[in-house]
Amino acid sequence: MGNDLLYKLQSQIEIVIKGKSNVIKKAFITLLSKGHLLIEDIPGVGKTTLAYTIAKSINCSFQRIQFTSDLLPTDIIGVNIYNQETREFEFRKGPIFSNIVLADEINRTNPKTQSALLEAMNERRVSIERKTYLLPEPFMVIATQNPIEYHGTFPLPESQLDRFMMHIKIGYPDEEYEKQILLQPSPIEIADKIKPIITSADIIRMQNEIDNVTVEESLLDYIMSIITETRKDDRIRLGVSPRGGQFLLRSSKASAYFDGRNYVLPGDIKELAPLVFGHRIILKTKSYISDAEKVIEDILDKIPVPL
Amino acid sequence: MLRNYNILTAVIALTGSLSLFISGEINPIFSFSPVLMIYGYFRLVKNKPQAPKWTINVLSITTLIIFLLDAFIASDDYLVSVANLTILFQAIKSFDLREPWDNLQVFFMSLLQLIITSEFTNSILFGGIFIVFLSSSVSAIILAHFIKTGSGEKIVLAKPMVFITLITFFLTTLLFISIPRIAGGFWGKGHKKGIKTAGFSERVDFGSFGTVKLDPTIVMRIELSGIERRDLYWRGMTLDYFNGVMWENTESERRLIYKREGFFTIKPYKKQNVTVQKIYLEPIDTEILFGLPSITAIETNSRIISVDGTNTIYIPMKKNKQFFYTAYSVDEPVYSGFIEKKYIQLPEGMGRISELARNITKGKTRTLDKVIAIEKHLKERYTYTLTVQKPPRGVNPIEDFLFRTKKGYCEHYATAMVLMLRSIGVPSRIVTGFYGGEINSYGGYLIVRQSNAHSWVEAVIDNKWQRFDPTPAISIEKPSIIILYLDTLKMQWNRYVVSFSSSDQRNILRLFAFTLKIPDMPDFRLRSIRDILALFLVAFIMSTIAFLIYKSLKREHYAYPTIQYLKAVKILKKKGIKVTDTMTSTEIKSIFVENSLKEKIEELITMYEEHRFGGKILTPDDKKRYRDLVREIELLK
Repeated sequence: MGNDLLYKLQSQIEIVIKGKSNVIKKAFITLLSKGHLLIEDIPGVGKTTLAYTIAKSINCSFQRIQFTSDLLPTDIIGVNIYNQETREFEFRKGPIFSNIVLADEINRTNPKTQSALLEAMNERRVSIERKTYLLPEPFMVIATQNPIEYHGTFPLPESQLDRFMMHIKIGYPDEEYEKQILLQPSPIEIADKIKPIITSADIIRMQNEIDNVTVEESLLDYIMSIITETRKDDRIRLGVSPRGGQFLLRSSKASAYFDGRNYVLPGDIKELAPLVFGHRIILKTKSYISDAEKVIEDILDKIPVPL
Repeated sequence: MLRNYNILTAVIALTGSLSLFISGEINPIFSFSPVLMIYGYFRLVKNKPQAPKWTINVLSITTLIIFLLDAFIASDDYLVSVANLTILFQAIKSFDLREPWDNLQVFFMSLLQLIITSEFTNSILFGGIFIVFLSSSVSAIILAHFIKTGSGEKIVLAKPMVFITLITFFLTTLLFISIPRIAGGFWGKGHKKGIKTAGFSERVDFGSFGTVKLDPTIVMRIELSGIERRDLYWRGMTLDYFNGVMWENTESERRLIYKREGFFTIKPYKKQNVTVQKIYLEPIDTEILFGLPSITAIETNSRIISVDGTNTIYIPMKKNKQFFYTAYSVDEPVYSGFIEKKYIQLPEGMGRISELARNITKGKTRTLDKVIAIEKHLKERYTYTLTVQKPPRGVNPIEDFLFRTKKGYCEHYATAMVLMLRSIGVPSRIVTGFYGGEINSYGGYLIVRQSNAHSWVEAVIDNKWQRFDPTPAISIEKPSIIILYLDTLKMQWNRYVVSFSSSDQRNILRLFAFTLKIPDMPDFRLRSIRDILALFLVAFIMSTIAFLIYKSLKREHYAYPTIQYLKAVKILKKKGIKVTDTMTSTEIKSIFVENSLKEKIEELITMYEEHRFGGKILTPDDKKRYRDLVREIELLK
């Protein structure tokens, strides 16, 4: 079952990150639907490894940006430097000019730098002094947030969070896998050894093929009723935006494609809805994203599935 | 699917127009319109382009102008002109069906046409057309639903269609039985044309009687019960004044009789002597009710009846439509009371006739003997014929009959007898009505036709009016079995549908009450709490049925794969596996880890997903596989 190439990719990455096939699948779904991924988790569960391995196996460039409070926008997007020989300013591209960008601990930096990243993410281009530079294709930002430490952080506002297609957690590996991890060398070492299975061109082709996945009309109604319900629910202050709905549909198509189907199932939608909507809604009580996901799951348990 | 939908629309449009044409109220000129309509639908089904919008607009406006002219100037009958309008519009619309919901207008117009037709006709054919309309509109509406939801799959219509049609019939029947009857059509206008060539008429002249005698039009159908009677004289009215050429009725005083407990009692009677006649009168242009003499009571829907001094019964303002009543008769001569002079009135110049009467009754002393002698004389010496030559100018037709031609029909005989009786001082009068009738052994009822029209004599003997019939017996040709059988169908239609009365309603309810062992059911005059409760019961049953229909509709609009999938889910629930309505097929699949059930469930769910969401075409083999899988899942632990 499933798309053979993607399945192969998934199992290869699983060699590096053990017992996390579901997370890998979500990352690929985000990549295929041209979205960006927000991972909220504690350090040391393999966020960096995941991003690095993905980049490696699809033969793409990879950059990691460690966000700190003194990071400047130019540190991300690049800077114009005066070239003394040519007597011209020339643009030195920042680390964002990569296919896979890992924005580590994005909430540690100041809002100005955050918004520079998010704008580039959204528009897939960088403008400096009236000159526009396109970002490479495929392009995906994997941002991470540490949910425990709040001291000295700048939490992303909801409007910024909305730009991420999906929000996932990696979580601790199962005991059985963790034992294996104890024994093996550092994951980056393993990742360095893996060979690319496909090229970035393949990814672009797949991204285009997702448009051919069909969606039966009742499924649109299903998505609509989930969205409407988030806007009506007593616990929710702000419901899902139209962009949220678009993202859910696109990611559901990618999920179907990943499984080797050319049609979306209600299961695709129901599985992804908490991940796509969880960070988009604002609860009335102060809370973590994981609480919001629970509310979404709760709503999903109330809406009849199209038959 | 769209193609079937369009074909169904064509059928519905045809039923509407056809029903109007069978009602006979539509000018045959309009028959060009259904022909055009058929062509329009032919084009539609063949996917030919529809007519340009401006043509449709011009045609519609023209039709509207025709309608206005028609309604206010030409036919002067709004129902007929609306009918004409719909016929024309149906034809125009058949060239202007662009979107699936355009067809709804066609359904609506057809419904309108059927409603109009129901006002025009009681024909049994209409019932058939209605069934066709009902079943095709049910299927069309179901199809329309699927076209709207965009399900590209083939849908099995036969089952829900038959189901809904049956339920609708059942409900209609229930309504028909339970809703209180309202006499007459909604429009209050008798649209039926009366029987024009009146065999029975309210006066007797010697004109076109011959042709009437050959007219087989049915006037009434009668169910007889009670005391056996040999002579079936369906008495209509009496005529007392003869002016030398024709008879007239001078009795003008009528007394109104009011209904008591559903009955009009004309005079008190004993139950055991009564002959009960249930009479279905066809539209006939008279207010008179017929029945075996002498009628003592009438049971009918009408509010009022009146009776004149000669026991003729009238329904004032009875329209030209079918009329049903039950007559209760007692075979006893009516006491004459004071005999008015008019019953021995004679026109001038009857010398020859009275001379003949005296000759016939010579030597008889008792009045009865004299009357019988005259009756016998006429019966034996004269020939019955339907072709009577006109008498020479200036010659009295009766004298011509008695002394020259010696041939005539019942009116000649009866008139001659009354004139002779009056000339010897016996008070007498003419009675008109019908005689006899054919027994339809299939339906067990009597058919009375125009050709059964008859007139006879009543004379006062011993202070009682007694009946005499001087007309010799005539043999009647028996109609064929098939005709009798067809007539039985029509009678039953009339009996159980057209003239279904509140007393029938009560009878049916009593029948139900008996089977349900409820002591007595109300007659829909709410008088007690029990009646109201009973009404609530009916309302409750009706709403339950309506709810069931709704539920079945909700269930039936799933396509085949979904139905099978739901069946499997139901089986899983029965097996104790926790499955909820908000679970997706993917989740249900993942419940099972490792067992033989998993395989079957996965196969079924994958098939369902492919057909339902993947747009895969459902083949008969797939259907079989679905059935097998469901069965296997049911059997597995």
